[in-house]
Amino acid sequence: MSTRFNLNGLPTEVQSDPSTPLLDVLRTELRLTGTKQGCDHEGECGACTVLIDNEPVQSCLTLLGAVADRHVLTIEGLKQFEKLDPLQQAFIQTGAVQCGYCTPGMLMAAKALLIREPKPNRQQIIEALDGNLCRCTGYTRIIDAVEFAAGMTPEKTPHEMTAGEDYLRMDSEGKVTGQTPYVEDIVLPDMLHMKVLRSPLHHARLDNIDTSSVSAMPGIRRVISWKDIPGINGFPEYSLEEPVLTPESDTLRMKGAPIALVIADTEDQAQAGCKAIKIKIDPLPFTFDPEEALKPGATLIAGNNNELSSFVITQGDLETSLKASKNVIDATYETAFLEHSALERESAFGFIDEKGRVTVSGATHQPHNQQRYVSEMLGIPLENVRVITPPIGGSFGGKQDPWPMMAVALGVYLLRKPIRLVYSRLESFDASPKRHPYKVHLKLGSRADGKLTGLSASILCNTGGYDSSGRYITNYAVTAIGGAYRWQAVNLLARSIYTNGPKAGQYRGFGTAQSNFALECALDEIIEKLDLDPVEFRIKNCIRPGENTFLGYPLIETLGYKEVLEQIRPYHKLFSEEAKKFNADHDPDKVRRGVGLAGMWYRFGKAGTLKIEAQAALSSEGHYIVYCSAPDYGQGTTTAMNQIAAEALGVSRNWVNVVNADTGQVPDSNIQGASRAVYFVGGAVTKAVQVLKDSIFSVAAEMLDVPGKDLELKSDRVIVTAQPNRFVSTMDIAHEFDLMGKSRRVTGIFDVSPNLGDQRPEYLPIFITGAHLADLTVDMETGMVQVVRVVAAHDVGKAVNPVDSSGQIEGAVLMGLGATLQEEYLPGLTTGFSHYHLPTIGSTPEIKTILVEVPSKYGPMGAKGLGEAAMLPTTPAIINAISRSIHERIRSIPATPEQILSAIQRRRS
Amino acid sequence: MILYMIPSSVKETLEILASYEGKARIIAGGTDLAIDLRKGRKSADVLVDITRIAQLTQVKVEGDFVEVGAAVTFSDIKKHKFLQNEFPMLTLAAASVGATGIQTRATWVGNLVNGMPAADGAIAALALEAEIKVVSLEGETWLPVENFFIRPGESKIDSTSQLATHLRFQIPQKTWGAGWQRIGRRTNLTLPILNCAVKLEFLEDLIQSAIIALGPVGSTPYRAHTAERYLINKPPTDEIIAEAGMFVQKEALPRSNPLRASREYRLEIIPIIVQRALIQARQQAIENHLK
Repeated sequence: MSTRFNLNGLPTEVQSDPSTPLLDVLRTELRLTGTKQGCDHEGECGACTVLIDNEPVQSCLTLLGAVADRHVLTIEGLKQFEKLDPLQQAFIQTGAVQCGYCTPGMLMAAKALLIREPKPNRQQIIEALDGNLCRCTGYTRIIDAVEFAAGMTPEKTPHEMTAGEDYLRMDSEGKVTGQTPYVEDIVLPDMLHMKVLRSPLHHARLDNIDTSSVSAMPGIRRVISWKDIPGINGFPEYSLEEPVLTPESDTLRMKGAPIALVIADTEDQAQAGCKAIKIKIDPLPFTFDPEEALKPGATLIAGNNNELSSFVITQGDLETSLKASKNVIDATYETAFLEHSALERESAFGFIDEKGRVTVSGATHQPHNQQRYVSEMLGIPLENVRVITPPIGGSFGGKQDPWPMMAVALGVYLLRKPIRLVYSRLESFDASPKRHPYKVHLKLGSRADGKLTGLSASILCNTGGYDSSGRYITNYAVTAIGGAYRWQAVNLLARSIYTNGPKAGQYRGFGTAQSNFALECALDEIIEKLDLDPVEFRIKNCIRPGENTFLGYPLIETLGYKEVLEQIRPYHKLFSEEAKKFNADHDPDKVRRGVGLAGMWYRFGKAGTLKIEAQAALSSEGHYIVYCSAPDYGQGTTTAMNQIAAEALGVSRNWVNVVNADTGQVPDSNIQGASRAVYFVGGAVTKAVQVLKDSIFSVAAEMLDVPGKDLELKSDRVIVTAQPNRFVSTMDIAHEFDLMGKSRRVTGIFDVSPNLGDQRPEYLPIFITGAHLADLTVDMETGMVQVVRVVAAHDVGKAVNPVDSSGQIEGAVLMGLGATLQEEYLPGLTTGFSHYHLPTIGSTPEIKTILVEVPSKYGPMGAKGLGEAAMLPTTPAIINAISRSIHERIRSIPATPEQILSAIQRRRS
Repeated sequence: MILYMIPSSVKETLEILASYEGKARIIAGGTDLAIDLRKGRKSADVLVDITRIAQLTQVKVEGDFVEVGAAVTFSDIKKHKFLQNEFPMLTLAAASVGATGIQTRATWVGNLVNGMPAADGAIAALALEAEIKVVSLEGETWLPVENFFIRPGESKIDSTSQLATHLRFQIPQKTWGAGWQRIGRRTNLTLPILNCAVKLEFLEDLIQSAIIALGPVGSTPYRAHTAERYLINKPPTDEIIAEAGMFVQKEALPRSNPLRASREYRLEIIPIIVQRALIQARQQAIENHLK
C-alpha cells in the first residue's frame, strides 16, 4: 500500500506500512533526519514537530496514513530558495541554539504560530511552544528569537538580543536547518544495530545466560555476553567493579544493569533477539536507601559493607566554636535522584576505519580516556583504537558514562562491521547515570553579630548500584559544604554508599549542588533567626584573599564572591520591598510572595594532570587550525576555542578552524568536565597559538628581512607594522615552512602547577562563585509555586562569549528550578518524560543574568569556568524564598505542592 | 501491514467496520491510539480514518444546541469564537489537553471514547451534560456522557463496530456560568493531579441546577452528586460554595500515585479546586446576566 502526500512542496509517495509513525517514515524511509526523536513515540518532547497543512503536530503520534494528500512541512523545507527563514536567522542571532536537538521541532512549532499569528504576544509564543522541551537554553532566548523573527520590539534592544558577528556560534546553521549529523542521523553502508538485554530486577544474582535460541532468528548477527570480552570486563579507572557485561554468578545491582548485547540487521530484530535470550536470575533483597544499606546485617551490594568511599576534613575545635554561638542550626536536608534528560538519547556508532582502527563515535567528556578503556577491554594497543566525538545533543554530565561506547566498540571489534546503538528513552531512564541523592545532616553556628562559627556536616551520598565515579563525590560534597565562607572550625564527613538505585554519576555540578543546597538553606535559616541581611551576612563571612580556607590551604585564583553579592544587593532590596507590598495587599491564607537569596562556590578544573596540551597549525592555504580536546555537547566549547585562538592571534574568526575531540587527530587535553574547558583547554590553545605566531613571525621576518618585533599578523598576511603595504601572505609563509622543512604544527602547554608553590593538594584550589535571587509566589491553599523572577550573578572572570555565558546561566536556572520543584526519578517507577516533570516553556521565569568579571590570574583573557556552577544557587534561592513565604522551612527537594502544603499546615497547627 | 482507509461518509465507515468483523478500528486524531497500538494494548488489521468525513468536521450552533463532530480537534474548539465567548470553560479545558502539537490532532469525541478518568475533554463534557451520538448499522442513539464510561480506558463505544459521530450540549437559556480548574505537576504537557469543571444555572438569585465534574477521583470521570444536590435552591455565597467543596471531598475517592500526587493531597485540595471552579462559574453567571 502506498501513501501519497506533498512533502516540502514536492509530491511524494512512500511504501511504508500506513500505521508507521510519520516520524519514522521521515527519518528512515525518506532519510530526512532533521526531524528529531527525543521520547519513545509518546508525544512527550516535541522534538519531532512538523507541520501538516500548516498546523504543528507531533510526528511520532501521527500515523503515515493520516497524511495522505496533505501538505507536510519539515525543517528541511523551511529554508526557501537557499535562504534561511527569518526564524532560523533569529534563532542563530539571538543565541537560541545550544545543543540543537530541540531546535528543528521548536522552529516548526514557532513557524506554525507565525503563519497563524504574524505578531504574537509573549503568552501566545509560550502556548505555541508548550509541547517542545529544551534542556539547554532555559527557553529565554527561544522566546526572544520568535519575537525577533516577528519583527517585534521587545524590551531588549536588538543589540542586547543578538550575538553580533563576534559571538555567533560556529555550528548553528547546521542545527537550524536540520543538517547537523548527530549519531542517530548517521547511516553507514551495511550498518548493523545493537540492542541490550538488561536486568529487570533491582538486585539479583545472574545464574545463567542461555542464548542458544537466538542465533537462528531472522537478521541476528551475533549475541555477545561477558565471555566474549577479550580483555578487562570493565573500565575500573572510571568505575570500580562495574562490568561491561555482567558475568554469570555475579550480581545485577540495579534495574537496567547490562547482561548481553544482540546485534542484528535491524533494531527490531535485535530487540526480538534480546527477548529470546533465556536468563536465570535469583532475586535478592534490595534497597534504595543508603541508611538501610548501612544497617548491620544489610544485604551486601558492593564495596566495604556497602560503603564505596569516604572523605573527611577537620579544622579547629568545633565544640568550642559552636558553644560560642548565639544560634545553632541543626537540620537534615535531602535530595532526589535526577535524570539529565538531554533531548538526544545515549547513542554511539562504530566502524573499522581506513587504518584498521576500532573507531567509535559518540558523546564523551573524555575521548582519550575512553580510548584507553576500549583498548584495555579489547586487549589491543591504544593506537588501534580511535574515539571521535560527533555533534552531541546535550549531556549535562550524563554522557560521561563510558558504557555506550564500550558496548559498541566490543561489537565492532568482534564483527568488524559498522554498528550503531541508540538507547530508548526508557533505557536512558533505567540505565544511564543519575544525580546522587544526598542526605546531609548539618550543624552550624553564628554569633549574634552574624559571624559564622563552626560547621559540622555528615553527608550520605547514594551512588546507586555502581560506582560510576561516585567514589570521588565525597571530596566534592565536603568541598562544597563549607562555601566561600570563613569558619573557625569544621568537622566534615561524606560517605558514598551503594544501594540498588540507578548508578549515580556525573550530573551538572558533580555532587556540589546537593551540598550547596543544604549549606545555603541552613545559612538562610540562621540569618532569618538572627534577623540579619542575607546579602551583608554573606559578604561579612566571605573568605579573604590569601587566607587559609577550611580546606586547609589558600586559593591560588581570584574569588569574586563579594563583587557578585554587591551586584545582587540592589535587586534584593527592590524585590524584598515589592514582596512586602504584595503581601500587604493580599490575603495571607490565599497567597504569599517571597524572596530568597543563595550563593555558591564551585571548584572548577577537576583532578587529573595540571599540564594541558593543545596544538596549533598553519594550513598550507595559510589558515589557522587548532587541535584540542574540549568536547562540545552544545555548550559551545568549539566556538569558545575558535574565539580564544582568534583573539590571541589577532586574526578574524573565519580564519581559525577548530579540530576538536578526535583521538585520531588531536592531543590529549584531559577530561572535559567541572567547567574546565575555557580555563584549561583555552589556556593551552592560547599557548599553542602564541607559539605558532612566534614561529610564523620568525619565518616572515626572514622573508621580509625585518626583525620579528616589527611585524603584525593580519588574517591572511603578515605586514610590517610601519609599512602596511609591505607584507607576505600566510599562504606563502606556509610554503616557506615546507621549503625549510619546518613543522607548521606546534604544541602549547598550559600548566598551573608552578603557581601552586609548595602546595600539592589533591585538587586545584581554584573556585568560581555566584549568587541567585528568586522571587516567587506560593498558593497557600494548594502549595503550588510560581517562580516569577530570578536574578543570577556569576563571576566568570572574563566572558569570552557573553551571549553563550548568559545562555548557560539561563539554562542552568531552569534546570535548577526543575530540580527544586518538579523533577524526581523514582527507581522502577519513572519510565520516561511522561513521569519525569521537566520544566516546560510555561515554567520559565523572567531571568536576569549578570556577568561579573573579576579576572583570573592565569586563565586565557582572564576567564574562569561557569557552566555547571550556574545551577548551584538556583535551588537554595527558590527554597529560601518558599520557606520565607510560608514561615516554615522546607528541607528536601523536590519541594512538590504536596510537601509545601503540608509544611503550611504544619506551621498553622 | 495494516490497511488504512479514509472513508468519506458515516455509512461507508460502518460498512467497512462490518465487513472486517471486529478487525477494523476507528481512528480520529490517533494521539492515544498510536501509543496503544505500539504498546500492544489495542490492535487492528484495518484503521478507518474518520477525519475527512465532512459532516464530522464541524462545530454547529443551532437553536439551543451546540453540536460537535467527531473529527473536531481541541485546537478547533480553542479557536472557535462562539465557544470562546459563551463557553470559556470549554476553551480552557481544550487548552489543557497535552500541548499544542497534540491539540491539533486530538479530537474531543476521541478523548471521551478513550475513557480515561481525568481526560480534560471528558470532565468538561460531563459538566456540560453533553450527549454522544452513537451510530451503528443497527441504528443510532444519543447517550448521555454521564452513562458513557465503564472503567479506565473503556467507554460504551466499541470502535470496531460503532462510531461516535457527534457530541452535543444545550446552551442554557437561564442565567448561567461555568468554571474550569486544573492542577498538575507543571503548567502543561502533563496529566492533571486534579481537574474540575462546573456549571451553574440560576433562577433569580438561587442556584437552580449545579453540575460538578472532576477527575481523577474514581475509575471514570466523576460527578459529585451530593454536592450538586446541596447547592440546589441556595444562594451562591462564599460559605455555601465552600461547603459544597467539602461535600465533594467527602464523596470523592481519589487514589495515590507516587509519580503525581497522594490520595491525601488530592483530598486536601478537592474543596479548593471545586470552590475556585464554582466562583468562576458564579462570576460568569453575573457577566451573562449583565449581557
